[in-house]
Order: sequence, then structure tokens, then C-alpha cells
Amino acid sequence: MGAGIALVCARKGHRVRLLDANPSALDKAQSYLASTLSKEVAKGRLTEQEKEEICQAVEPVQEIQRLASCDIVIEAVSERLDLKKSIFRTLTEICRQDALLLTNTSSLSVTEIAGGLDHPKRILGMHFFNPAPVMPLVEVIRGKQSGEREAQQVYEFAKELGKVPVYANDTPGFIVNRVARPFYNEALRILQDRIAPVETIDRIMKQAGGFKMGPFELQDLIGIDVNFAVTESVYENFFHDGRFRPSRIQQRMVQAGTLGRKSGEGYYEYDK
Amino acid sequence: MSMTNKTVLLVGKSPLHDELKELFGESGYRVVPEPVREAADGVRFAIEVTNYDLDLKRATIEKLDCELPPDVPILATSLAVTATEAASWARYPQRICGFGTFVPVAERGLLEIAPALQTAPAVVEQAVWLFESLGKETAVVEDEVGLVFPRILALIVNEAVFTVMEGTATPEDIDIAMKKGTNYPYGPLEWADRIGLDEVYAVIRGLHRDLAEERYRPAPLLRKLVLAGRVGVRSGQGFYSYQLAAAVR
Repeated sequence: MGAGIALVCARKGHRVRLLDANPSALDKAQSYLASTLSKEVAKGRLTEQEKEEICQAVEPVQEIQRLASCDIVIEAVSERLDLKKSIFRTLTEICRQDALLLTNTSSLSVTEIAGGLDHPKRILGMHFFNPAPVMPLVEVIRGKQSGEREAQQVYEFAKELGKVPVYANDTPGFIVNRVARPFYNEALRILQDRIAPVETIDRIMKQAGGFKMGPFELQDLIGIDVNFAVTESVYENFFHDGRFRPSRIQQRMVQAGTLGRKSGEGYYEYDK
Repeated sequence: MSMTNKTVLLVGKSPLHDELKELFGESGYRVVPEPVREAADGVRFAIEVTNYDLDLKRATIEKLDCELPPDVPILATSLAVTATEAASWARYPQRICGFGTFVPVAERGLLEIAPALQTAPAVVEQAVWLFESLGKETAVVEDEVGLVFPRILALIVNEAVFTVMEGTATPEDIDIAMKKGTNYPYGPLEWADRIGLDEVYAVIRGLHRDLAEERYRPAPLLRKLVLAGRVGVRSGQGFYSYQLAAAVR
């Protein structure tokens, strides 16, 4: 996701340093940028020269010290608290006190990532949605110690990137991943209680509800394992509030490895 | 199935009432209101739509059951009670069948039908026929409070209300987030305002009462807004204020 966010920033004229300790990940990111931008050139949305300038604006770096002079740092590593904490500890030591240090976490607490670090006002969540170049929403997450002025700066930065920002306080799942839970969870409960089968529930939600996809089609697209992990995380972080209790049906799908489109089978069957 | 008699008796307090009345009218039906006794002869279907005031719903169904000939189907919304419970109030429970959706009905391409345990199979067929004659698709589902779409949407709204109540985000930001982050056709709170918060609350309260799980606990703010009469667009205020729009109109 880091490469997608780098692309969003570079396209708006920012100079980006793209950090990964692994050189092959950086190579992959650069070919992603080149191929995505080439498609834009083919569609006539960019000139070859603009593409080159955007690619040039993204500098791959392998040492975190290279981020010391950045005005804004966006972290998008895997969702491991220990890893994020150590990165932010280093960033608070090497970056300017007025640099914004932002995490793209979707499931961890911004407050916990910032806890115990120097100048926590500058640490906030900036949650992009996947794929970042396509999805317009950015959730600006205020941790317990985040500064209000800093939150406004992140909000303005997101707007400047062409995104639609919203504010949320640091609570499990923030807005989208929390409020969307019943779309999946209640559909699963209806399935479990045999009120209606998968195809009927999807048909009802599209034709009666006006949703573009039904809850089971959408899980198959997202990946049932990914959807289950979000539900489990929100459930854990709300101290097992019954509103978020995960579904046994979904758990069995994950255990069986029938994860949706990517594995050829989920609630529906797909050509492998 | 042919039907020469096109008289439908429509009763109950719900925003669905006026919308169904219009839809039946457009489809060539004669719609008769209460009182039941004058209209009883020649009524082909009775439709009952109260969701919030369950004492009224029960009294209405008892009255319909009493005054209509036993072969007239009574289709009652099962948004806040199961069709099975509604049928338990009747002397002729086999004629009661559940159905339901949220307004605006014009936006609903499909209506759900939920037979009670007691419903006669022929009544289900007639219910399907009736709603399809209105140009809607139908889906027959098992009987539980809120059916499928109203139940799922009501719980999405409930979660959004908890999110507002705690101060996690504003109604505006929640609505933007759900439209832009996950492609919902409407934000859950503006959607609830259009449906009527009383209708949404009736579904959640019904699930909580019948299934008795923490999962279905209604957000206290939702309950209070309903008690305060701030039920959304209809009353000029819900999560948003509509006074300006009303003045312009």
C-alpha cells in the first residue's frame, strides 16, 4: 500500500522518499509506479514527460535516517504493533519536532503507537483505503495525545492530495471498518439462522437496498480472511462487545482456505 | 392467478402507508381505509403496516381478523415483530403473512415476504402475486424480525448512532466515510433520516426483544431521538435539520 500512497503524493507534486529495508520491495514499488503511470499515458491522461517527472519524484531509500528531513512521514508497514512502535520511536528521534508522523494503520490504536514517545501531538492516523490511488476517502485519526492543529494539517494535506478526508477519534475500526461490520456480520447471522441463503441475501441487499454488491460477493472480493481479521480485531478491541462477535461460518471458511475469489472458491465458485 | 376484485384494504401508522397507497393506486387497485366494517365486503387483501406502536398493531390485526371473511389474506409488516407473533393474535392465523421494507418504496426494486409458521401456502403465493403486480420483485425469506434488508440496514444505522453518541465522529463525517470508503448508496444517518428513525428503531428494538442479545442493543441516542419526535425528514429534524429545505419547498 505504501507504493500506492507514494504515487498519490508524487502525482500532486510532492517529493517522496519511499523507504523499505528490502531492495526487492523497492524494485517492485518502482515497477508498479512505472506500469501504473504508463497506463495513464496510454489513456492520454499524462504525457511521457509528466510520467518521468513523477517517477523521478519518488526516491527509493533503504535507511530510515534518510527520512530525517521530511515534513510528513506516512508509515504503512504490516499491522504489527511492535514494528510500528519501533519505527515511530526512531522517527520521533530523527525527525523535526514539527514534522507530521502519520500511521496508515486500519486496526491498531494510534494512541498506543504514540504512547510514551516524545512530542506525541504530531503523531496521528492517516488511513487510506485500498487501492489508495483509486479510493477517495482518508480517515484522519486523532489519538488521545494528537494535537488539534496537527489534525487540521493532516486534513488539509489529504484535501490537497485530492482526497475526501473525515475526522475520527481513535476508537476500534475508526469509522468505516466499524460501521460496516453489520453489513457482513448480520448477513452471516441471517445465513447461520437460515433466514435466507447466500444468493438470496445478496440479491435482496442489491435490489432492495441499492448496494452495489451483496455482503457475500463483497467478502469474496475482499478476501474472507481479510474480512474476518478486521471483525476479530474490532471485536477484541471493543472488549468482546456482542455487537461485533465474529461468525463461525466465516471462521470455517478461513480454516478451509476457501477465501473468496483469490482461492477460486468462497461463498461462490470462481474460475481459478 | 387472475383477480377481478382489485380492492385492497390498507391500514396502520407508518410512512409505508402513504407510499403503498400511492403504489397500489398507480397499479389500478382501489385502496380503502379504516373503518374496516364498511369496506369488509369485497376486500381482496388487507395490508397492515404499523411498526413502532405494537399495541396499535395488535389491536388492528385483531380487528381485521374479526371483521374480514376468513379467506381474505392479511399481509402485515414484520419489521418489529415476527409474522408468527402477528399470526398468534388472530383467530385465523393461516391468513396472516409477513412482509416488509423501508421507504421510499419507489427506490425498492424488491419486496421481502416472510410467511409465519402458521401461514397457508396459498396465502404466500397470493402475497407474491400481489407485490409482483406492483412491478416489484419478491424474495420469500424465513420469518424473523426485520427480514433481511431492514434488519441489516437498521444495525448499520445503530452502529453509526453509537459512533455519533460517543463523539467518535460527526454524522456528516460518518455519512461521507461510508459513501466514499465503501460505496454505500447513502450515508447511514442521512438514510435513517429519510426512512424515519422510529421505523429503524422499531426493527432494532424488536430484534433485541425477541433474540435478547447484547448484539441488538439499541443505541440510547436513537431511542431518545424517537421519543423526542425527531424522526428525520418527516418531522423536520433527525440527525440533520430539514427546516430550510421545507421552507424552500
